[in-house]
Amino acid sequence: MAAYWIVWVPLLPFLTGLLIGVLHFGQWLDGERHEKITARMSVWSMAVSTLLVLSYLIADLSGMQVDAQVYGSWLSNSRFSIDFSLQSSGFNLAVASVFALLLLIVMRFSVNYLHREAGFHRFFFMLNGFAAAMLLLVLSGNALFTFVGWEVAGVCSYGLIAYAYDRPVAAHNATRVFVTNRIGDGGFIVGIALALLWLDSADWHVINTSVTELDRGDATLLALCFSLAAFAKSAQIPFTPWLARAMEGPTPSSAIFYGGVMTHAGVFLVIQLQPLFTQTPVVMLLLALVGAITAIYSYWIGLSQTDIKSSQIFAASTQLGVMFLECGLGFWTLAFWHLCAHVVMRCYLLLTAPSILHVTHTQPIKPVPERWARCHSAFVVSLQRGWLEQALDWLVVKPVQRLSKDMCTIDQRIIDPLLGSPAPAIKAVASLAQREEQKMGANLHSDEDSFAQGSGLAGKLAQWSAALMSWFEYHFILRGLGKNSIQLGRQLGHAANRFEQLLLSPRYLVLFVIITLMVALGYAA
Amino acid sequence: MPILSALLWTPALGVLLLAAVSGHQTGLIRLISNLMALSAFLLACGILVGFDSADSRMQFSEFYPLNPKLGSAYALGVDGLSMPMLVLATLLSSIALLASFSITEAVKGYHICVLLLEFGMLGVFMAQDWALFYIFWEVTLIPLYFLIDRWGGKRRHAASLNFVLYTMGGSVFMLLSLLAISQYDLEHQGSLMASMGQAAQSMPEFEQVLVLLGFFLGFGVKMPIFPLHGWLPLAHVEAPSPISILLSGILLKMGAYGLLRSVVMLPVAAKVLQPVLVFLALFGMVYGGLLAWRQRDLKAMVAYSSLSHMGVVLLGIATLNHSGFSGAILQMLAHGLLAGTLFLLIGLLYERTHTRNLQDYSSLVNTMPRFAAFMTLTLLAAMGLPGSVGFIAELHTLIGGFQQWGGLMVFFSLSILISAAYAMRTIGMLFTGPVKPRMQSIADLKPIELLMSGVLVSSIVLLGLLPAPLIQLSAETVNRMLRVIAERLP
Repeated sequence: MAAYWIVWVPLLPFLTGLLIGVLHFGQWLDGERHEKITARMSVWSMAVSTLLVLSYLIADLSGMQVDAQVYGSWLSNSRFSIDFSLQSSGFNLAVASVFALLLLIVMRFSVNYLHREAGFHRFFFMLNGFAAAMLLLVLSGNALFTFVGWEVAGVCSYGLIAYAYDRPVAAHNATRVFVTNRIGDGGFIVGIALALLWLDSADWHVINTSVTELDRGDATLLALCFSLAAFAKSAQIPFTPWLARAMEGPTPSSAIFYGGVMTHAGVFLVIQLQPLFTQTPVVMLLLALVGAITAIYSYWIGLSQTDIKSSQIFAASTQLGVMFLECGLGFWTLAFWHLCAHVVMRCYLLLTAPSILHVTHTQPIKPVPERWARCHSAFVVSLQRGWLEQALDWLVVKPVQRLSKDMCTIDQRIIDPLLGSPAPAIKAVASLAQREEQKMGANLHSDEDSFAQGSGLAGKLAQWSAALMSWFEYHFILRGLGKNSIQLGRQLGHAANRFEQLLLSPRYLVLFVIITLMVALGYAA
Repeated sequence: MPILSALLWTPALGVLLLAAVSGHQTGLIRLISNLMALSAFLLACGILVGFDSADSRMQFSEFYPLNPKLGSAYALGVDGLSMPMLVLATLLSSIALLASFSITEAVKGYHICVLLLEFGMLGVFMAQDWALFYIFWEVTLIPLYFLIDRWGGKRRHAASLNFVLYTMGGSVFMLLSLLAISQYDLEHQGSLMASMGQAAQSMPEFEQVLVLLGFFLGFGVKMPIFPLHGWLPLAHVEAPSPISILLSGILLKMGAYGLLRSVVMLPVAAKVLQPVLVFLALFGMVYGGLLAWRQRDLKAMVAYSSLSHMGVVLLGIATLNHSGFSGAILQMLAHGLLAGTLFLLIGLLYERTHTRNLQDYSSLVNTMPRFAAFMTLTLLAAMGLPGSVGFIAELHTLIGGFQQWGGLMVFFSLSILISAAYAMRTIGMLFTGPVKPRMQSIADLKPIELLMSGVLVSSIVLLGLLPAPLIQLSAETVNRMLRVIAERLP
C-alpha cells in the first residue's frame, strides 16, 4: 500500500467539514430534514478515514511500512525548509488509529444525541474540523503542522463549549478556556522558534535525533517550552480549572474533547519528544512533580464532586497526572499504553454517564473514609477546588486588568481628545425608546451635519473639512458644472427654437419669398 | 480560430437573437442574454488559459485593414493589461444580468442595451487601433444613456443627461488629441495604436503636453478624476443597481485603461504633468473619502468611495515605475470586484427594503446573517484589509508612490484611514444597534443571490490570499511599458 494515501486520513474529515460548512451557510443544508445528509456524510467520511488508518496500522504491525511521507515544502528559505509530511508508522499511527476509532464512534453517537437540536449542522461542522485537526496533530511529521492541528482543535473546542452561545455562562467559559489554552500555545510557538533557530528544522524526527548536539541549558529550555504546551492542553497544575469549565458543551463533545481525545494531546506531545526529555533530567523531574501534584489535587477535588460529569472530569485529570508522572519517571511504554487505555475507557464512561446514573441511582456513592470525613478544612478546600482559579485570577488576571484600566484612563484623558473616540461606542442609541425621544426632541442642526460627526481634534478636523468639501462639491461640481451646463443648454435650445418659430411664421415666410424674388429679379436685370 | 472576435461578437450575436424574440417572452429573453453573457465569460476564461504571461507582446492578434489610406484597421489583441479587464468585464456583465431579474418592464429593450454595453466594453479593452477604440468608446455611451434614462430612479433624466454631456464633452477632447497626433507622419506599420505611438514622438514637447491634456480630459471624466466627477454621484445613485455594477465595475476602468495607454504613448508629457497628476490623485482620494463619509445614501457612499479608490489608480499611473503601474492595474481589478460586489449587495438590500438611507437600517445581522457576512467582508476589503485583493493593490501603489515621492504618501495613508472610518461606520449602522420593527421580516439572500455574491466575494478573498498569479499576469506587460517609456524619455 502506498504511503501517499495517508494524507486522506485528516483530509477526508476536513473536506466533509468544509462541505457541511459551505452548504449550511448557503442554507442548502438546514433544519431537521437535512440532518440525515449531514450525519451520513460525516459518519461515512470518518469511517473511510478510520478504515484507512487501521489498514495502515495492520500493514505497520506486519512490518510493511516505512517512515514519513513528505508531500512537499510549505516554506523554505536559505536556512531551513518546512515540509508538510505525515508519519505512517509506529507510535503516531497507533495513537491515530485509537483516536480515529473513537472519533467515529462519537460521531455516530452524536447523530442520535443531537437529533432535532438547533445547531445540528454547526455541531457536525465543528466535530469534523476537530477530527481533521486531531488526526493532523498526531500524524504530522513537523512541529509546525502539529501546531496547526493543535490550534484548530482549540478553536473547535471554543466553538463547541459555546455551543449554546445565547447563554452568557457558556460564552464566558468558552473564552476562559480558550485564553488559558493560549498560554500553552505560547510555549509551543517559542519551542518551534527555538528549534528552527538552533536545529534549523522543526521536524520531530530532527528535533529528537539532533538534540544530543545541543547544550544542556538549551535543551532544557526547549523541553520546558514544549512541556508548558503539554501542561496547558492536558490541564495539569496550574491550568487544571479550565477542564471543569469546558463541560458546558453537549455530552458527546465533552466526551471526545475533554474526557477522551484532546486532553491527551499533551501527553502525546511529551511521549513524542521522549528523546528530548530524556536528555533533560530537570524537566523530567518537573514532569513527574507536576503530574503527581495534579493527580493528588484532582483526586482530592473529585472526592467532593456530586454530579457525574464533574467527578468524571476530575478522574480524567487524575489519570492524566499519573501519565505525566509515568513519563517523568521514564516509564514511556507504560505511559503510552495508559494513554490508549484511558482514552477508550474515559470516552465510554462519559458517553454512558446518563445510563450509569440510571443504573446506580438507588445506590448512594461510597462515602469517604470516616477519618477524612471529619477533616472539615480539607472538605472546604476540596469544595473550593483548592482556590486555584481564584489564585490564578489574583496573580495574573487582576494585574492585567489593572494595567488595562490605567491604559484606558490614559486613552480617555489624552488620546481621545486628540484623535477622537469611536462614535458608535459613545453616541449609539441604546434603545428604541431613546431613539424615539431623540427624534421628537428639537433638532436644530440639519440631518446631514448630525450624521457625519467626529469627536476629538482629529474627528472635528475631519468633520469640518468634510463639510467644506461637501459645500464645494454641491456648489461647484454638482450645481456649477452639472446643473448649470444643462440649464445653459436648455436656454440655448429655447433661443434656437424661438428663432426657428419666427422663421416659420407666415409674415417672415412671405418676406423671404419677396426678398428671394427681388434678388432673382436683380440678377435678371 | 479568431477567438477575440468570437468573444467580441458574442454579445452582439445576443442582441441580434433578442431582436427576433417577441417582447412578451421575458423568460426566453432572459435565458438568451444570460447564456450569451455566460458564454462570453467562458470564452474570456479560455483566452486566460491560453494567455502566455511571459510574453509581453500583443497576443491572439487579429488584423484586417479597414481604411488603408488612413491606416485604420480592425485590429484586436490582448496583453497583460487588458487580459484581467476582459475577464472582469465578462464576469461582471454576467452577474449584472443575473441580478436583473428585478427589472420587469421593457425587459427586451433592457437586455439588448446591456448586451450592447458589454459589446462596447469588450471592444474598448481589445481594440489595438485608436479609431476602433474611439468607436467602441462611443458605443458604450448610447446603451448606457438609455439604461439610466429608462430604468433609473426618480432623477433619472437629469442623471442620464448629465452623464452623457460630461462624457461627450470629454471625448471631444480625446478626439481632438487623436486628430492632433494623426497630423504627423504615420508610418503605416502595425496597428494604428503602434504607429500613432511612434508618430507622437516627433511632436514638439509643448504639443505633446497639450495632447496628453486632451486625453486626460477624455479619460479623466470617465475614470473619474477629482474635478471632473460631477456626473458620478448622480449617475450611480439613479442607475438601476445592475447597471451601477457595470458602471462602477467596468466603465470606470475604461478611463483608467485609456489613460495608462496614453501615458505610455506620451511619457515626456507625462513627466511634465506628473506633479499635477499626483496632486489630483491624492486630493481626490481624500476628497472622495471625506464625502463618502458624509453620505447617508448607501449608493452615494459607494459612488464617492469609487472616486477615492480610482485616485489610487491615478496615483499608480502617475508614479511611472514598476510597482506603481502594477498597483494601478491591480487596483483596477480590485475596485471592479469590490464596487461591483457592493452595488450588487446594496441593490439586493434595496429590493427588500426600498430605502437606501443608512439611518433606516439597524441590527440586520439577526435577520440576514448571510448578507451580513458578505457585506462585512466586502467593506473590510474596501478599506484594504490584508487578505483581500484591495490590500495587494494598495500596497503596490503605496510602494511605488513612496519610491517616487516619499513622505507625500502620508496623504495616501490618511485616505485609507478615512475609508476605514466610513466602512466601519457602515458595518456598525447596518448590522448592529437596537432592533427595529421595520427590519424584522427581511428575507435573507436566496440561492441565486448567494451564488452571485459568493463568486465575487470568494474571488476578492482568494486573489487577496494568493495574489502571485495575478501579479504575474501583468508583470511582463508592465516591464515592456516601462522599457518603452525609458526609450522615449530623453
